[in-house]
Amino acid sequence: MSRTLSSWKQSLGGVLAASLLVAGCESPTVVPTADGRQNIHTARIEGNLVVQSRARGNAVVFIYDASRPPPPQGTGRPIAFTVVPAEQLFGPALGTDAPGPFTAPFALSLVAAGKYTLRGFIDVDSCSAGVVPCHGSDFNPWYGVTSEPNTGDVGGAAVDPTNGVPLTLEVTKDAEGNPLPLTNVTVSFSQATAQVPLDRPAFQVTVVNGDHTLTAGAPPKVLRLTPQNIEGGAVVQRSKAFLVSFVDANRDGAPDDANGDGVPDLWPRVVVRKLADGPGLLEDNDLDRNGILDGILEEGGIDYVHADGTRDGQPDLVVLGAALVPDAIVAALKDENGNPRTTPVFVQELMVGVQAIALDARDPAAPARLDGLPKGRYSVVLIQSTGQTWRVPNELAPPIAAGIGLTGVESQAFVLEVL
Amino acid sequence: MRHYKALQRVGLLALCLCATQVLADARLEARRHFRNGMSLIGKKEYDEGIAELEQAYAIKPHPNVLYNIARAYQDAGRTAEALDTYKRYVASSPADAPSVEATIAALEEKQRASQATAESPDNSALPMPPPPASIQSQQQLGALLERLEKAIERAESMPTTGTGTATPSTYVPSVLPGVAETANGDDGAVPYEERVVTASRRAQSSLEAPNATTVITAEDIRLSGATSLPELLRRVPGADVMSLGIGSANVSLRGFNQRIANKVLVLVDGRTEYQDFLGLTLWSTIPIGLDEIERIEVIRGPGSALYGANAMLGVINIITQAPGSGPRARFNVMAGTGSSVAGSFLSHGNTGALRYRTSVAYSQADKWSRDYASNRPDIVLRDPDPDIGMRGARGTLSAVYSFGEGKQVGLSGGVHRYTTEIYPLGLLRNYFIDGLGAYAKGDVELGPLKLKTFWNHISGNAGPQYEPIGQRSLGTEISSNLFNAELLFARAFQLGGEHQLNVGVEGRLKRVGWDYLGPLREEIHAAAFVQDEWRLAEPLRLVASYRVDRHPLLDNGTPGLAHSPRISALFIPIEGHAFRISAASAFREPTFLESYTRLLVPVQGVNGASALTTGNTGLRPERLTAFELGWRGESAELGMDWDLALYQNRVKDLIGLSAFERLPPGESYDGATGNYLIGRSRFVNEDSIYTARGVEAGLTLAPVDGLGVKASAAFQNVTSDLEEKAECGPCSQAPQLKLYGGVTYRTKADLEFGVDVAFTSSTTWIEREPAASDPTRIELLSNPLGAYAVINARVGYAAVKNTVDVALVGSQLGSAHSQHPFGNRIERRVYATLTVTP
Repeated sequence: MSRTLSSWKQSLGGVLAASLLVAGCESPTVVPTADGRQNIHTARIEGNLVVQSRARGNAVVFIYDASRPPPPQGTGRPIAFTVVPAEQLFGPALGTDAPGPFTAPFALSLVAAGKYTLRGFIDVDSCSAGVVPCHGSDFNPWYGVTSEPNTGDVGGAAVDPTNGVPLTLEVTKDAEGNPLPLTNVTVSFSQATAQVPLDRPAFQVTVVNGDHTLTAGAPPKVLRLTPQNIEGGAVVQRSKAFLVSFVDANRDGAPDDANGDGVPDLWPRVVVRKLADGPGLLEDNDLDRNGILDGILEEGGIDYVHADGTRDGQPDLVVLGAALVPDAIVAALKDENGNPRTTPVFVQELMVGVQAIALDARDPAAPARLDGLPKGRYSVVLIQSTGQTWRVPNELAPPIAAGIGLTGVESQAFVLEVL
Repeated sequence: MRHYKALQRVGLLALCLCATQVLADARLEARRHFRNGMSLIGKKEYDEGIAELEQAYAIKPHPNVLYNIARAYQDAGRTAEALDTYKRYVASSPADAPSVEATIAALEEKQRASQATAESPDNSALPMPPPPASIQSQQQLGALLERLEKAIERAESMPTTGTGTATPSTYVPSVLPGVAETANGDDGAVPYEERVVTASRRAQSSLEAPNATTVITAEDIRLSGATSLPELLRRVPGADVMSLGIGSANVSLRGFNQRIANKVLVLVDGRTEYQDFLGLTLWSTIPIGLDEIERIEVIRGPGSALYGANAMLGVINIITQAPGSGPRARFNVMAGTGSSVAGSFLSHGNTGALRYRTSVAYSQADKWSRDYASNRPDIVLRDPDPDIGMRGARGTLSAVYSFGEGKQVGLSGGVHRYTTEIYPLGLLRNYFIDGLGAYAKGDVELGPLKLKTFWNHISGNAGPQYEPIGQRSLGTEISSNLFNAELLFARAFQLGGEHQLNVGVEGRLKRVGWDYLGPLREEIHAAAFVQDEWRLAEPLRLVASYRVDRHPLLDNGTPGLAHSPRISALFIPIEGHAFRISAASAFREPTFLESYTRLLVPVQGVNGASALTTGNTGLRPERLTAFELGWRGESAELGMDWDLALYQNRVKDLIGLSAFERLPPGESYDGATGNYLIGRSRFVNEDSIYTARGVEAGLTLAPVDGLGVKASAAFQNVTSDLEEKAECGPCSQAPQLKLYGGVTYRTKADLEFGVDVAFTSSTTWIEREPAASDPTRIELLSNPLGAYAVINARVGYAAVKNTVDVALVGSQLGSAHSQHPFGNRIERRVYATLTVTP
């Protein structure tokens, strides 16, 4: 008995000693939880803002997918943004009009591997500087009517310092597939070269021929767009005229004609896009408002029938065939000798023709015609050569404005309705 | 050879299982021996009966057992042994010492007379009249004495009238010189009955408790091998224990568990450890060690009628050893996997009327798992040590000075320097707190009057354990001070039956400095309560309680009152069986976090955006209306007791975060942070009313010497009047089924074995997450969580009896799992412990 117990004691002692010896000194293993962010490997982009400006305000830096550039090059929306407050950016010079340059660090966090472009602007508070009339710092990313720069704001971008061309930045991966941080990126802002000359092209719509409805087979609807001055609450748009110009993307001094229809391409551009069914401002096939077309099944995207009777298996970006009526604009853009002007001019109204044809503009370079006219509400979007845009309807539509603390403007509730 | 050794070990195990002189649940075993002994004595089988009583006393000393042994010796005519045992009884300073001393004197006189006459018969049964001359008279007297003994036995076996005090229960081992072999008032006059102090704020039999009550004894704690308080609570029927990290757990009762579980009041010797500015209990920061705990009483059901705010779903009262009641010195060291290291020193002592207990300890353990690796290009780790899940060094001192019977002053204090984890609400994830906790407590007892005061302090740094590089940090500093004073009065009186009255008043000052809350916040609370237990007519008792709490914000942001009534009826038709029915309401007050928060939570990956979370000073308290039926019973002969409870909890005005509402443009930029606010989520009272219905059963069994079995089961269903099951967080997050089973086997000689299993059924957690495609959109996502079982085991060995003990503990021996979607992946650990009591 005692021998057995002794043996047992020795065994137990051995186990205890062994357990003490193996007492773990290794770090705990990394096991991501159900938190979505823990299951994604990302990196960051960081660097400095370099600002040369007498104007003062917060700097806002946006990151875009390089394949979805913002207006005027495309219709992409920012993936994310960061703000460098004026106090941090200008420091002791905040209350002065010293031109700089001023520098401040910035960072864009949790950036996945990919190619990006960085744009930004100084949301200038000209009221503090005593300018009359003035704009306060009026940027607000959550509303369409407040999410773009206005007069006096100073544009910026990550550009090639040698030629000023916007850079495409790439977040690469290491050998194990983990993204690598991109550091020492410079985003430059220059009041001298990139100050925004005018407010956004806020407009109101008048239907020239008939009501605001359109039916299949009907003649084109003609819309007259006139500047809409808005000064109420958080939205200040002093739009007196529209800035028009020929498109000259290749900068050869001659107007472009991308579609070869013999009519020179013009700024601004107009898009008539289908809205999601039901009330509100959501765009069709972009119910999550991220600017990227929803998936078919996962996100409730709709695949419309194309003119050839097929479906392409992807959600469609439905637009109506629409364009500026060019005659008056082209006339305004030619000098007394009939030569095209290389500088923009202002016009007091724009005439927009909307045809009763629907297109899938998923690929803007090659829109595909759809079968029939998808019924529903359509918005009118004007894209200015400065990259500033305006859309009707928007949050200033009285039923919407009342719920979000904005001052309603009746004209901003206009929709073109396809019956 | 190897086979031979294996067989040898199997044989050894069998031998151990068959060993004699074994113990399992000491109270139940002692009680079984006591009852068997009394039964044998009743049959005049004195030798066998006395042997059983001696065995009961050896297992768990109780002075009344000595008295009964002495009586049996006396009845058996063994005057010398009777005298010796009576004297041991008197040495324990019982209340009836004068009458027993008279008995001793009479017996001594008889003994002397007996010695003088040599042949005179033993007639020393009692200091009573001379023996009658006739045989008939002797027979009559014998019958009378037998009836009297049975009546005494019956009285001793029934619950007492409860004149004991509400001071912590104490078992006083005989090894401490200078301390009498006695138990204090909490042990009661009935040997080995389970006593509780929390249910009625006075010592009483658990049979008399108006709520479902579970007691975890020091012995349970030791045999479990548990290293944390929450792990111990898994054995409580209806307890939801959710460990997210090694140092972070949330505990609820009867559902409604969540990150920051806020509906169960946790006390240590009556001092709150529920941090009511946050609404949670930081279990790993409680500055006492498991080896300092005398017992844990868990009241499963509303306790606001006595304890006020936050005792909504229950009360967990951790009762520490009374100063001077333990070993003069005890060292404990532990090491194990996961860099687990702990060491403690505990000492009890006394000098005259002054008794003290002091302890110092250090402990640390790695996290079970980490959410992020180091040196990532996107995430910075803010935790001072990202591997450590819990680390702390603490010290406590507790002293009591007795001026006389029922008059004493107690002072205690402690300090704890710690690092641990917290898992906050909403979009916030894994936080660390690197802080300092301290408390001081003073108690004055003057007969029926008691004054209790304490101060709780927390300060330190806290913040997310990890944050995206480049994102604004949410790191912060916290300072909280709480001052509490309470005056209690207890009195028994007769008015249409016996009454036991308890009344009390309480005041509390809270001051919190925390930039999540804005400026320094301060609140003053006051409360008064009364409880009367009325023994209307045996076997029926009524317990009526009422408490009113004054809270500075309860009336829509202005001072208001919260009323908490409770009525219970107890029916004890036969000995050892109590049936109860109760109805009560309880409440949880809005925390500072819920009232005052203004916190901008960065939107992940969008450094210019934040989500605003705000408090709401107009919140109503969360309200509970509860009904309960219960049956608590015991069979001393079988060494078994059980508790069965059926309940319905109706909860309304739950406080939670609203969906994000977009802010007007003028309010959606925060200049201080340079962030645009995607919207605001504020604490609101929910419209839904939730109904939880359930049944709980618990069983403790010590059927044969050495074997202890504990088992419990709880089933519950939570429904909402407005929400479908799939959308109802409290419904889907509450596990429907919880099972617990534990077996211990202990040889008195040297070995102990224990294993327990806790099963929790699957749940679905509805949590906020930024949308993957657009982090500025906050979505509610369902996170299914599978069922899991927690298995722990312990083997202990007394290397040197009463001096050196070693043990090997396996923790979380089941399959790896998580107990919350955002919690650690919990994996097994093994610890070795060494306890030296020189």
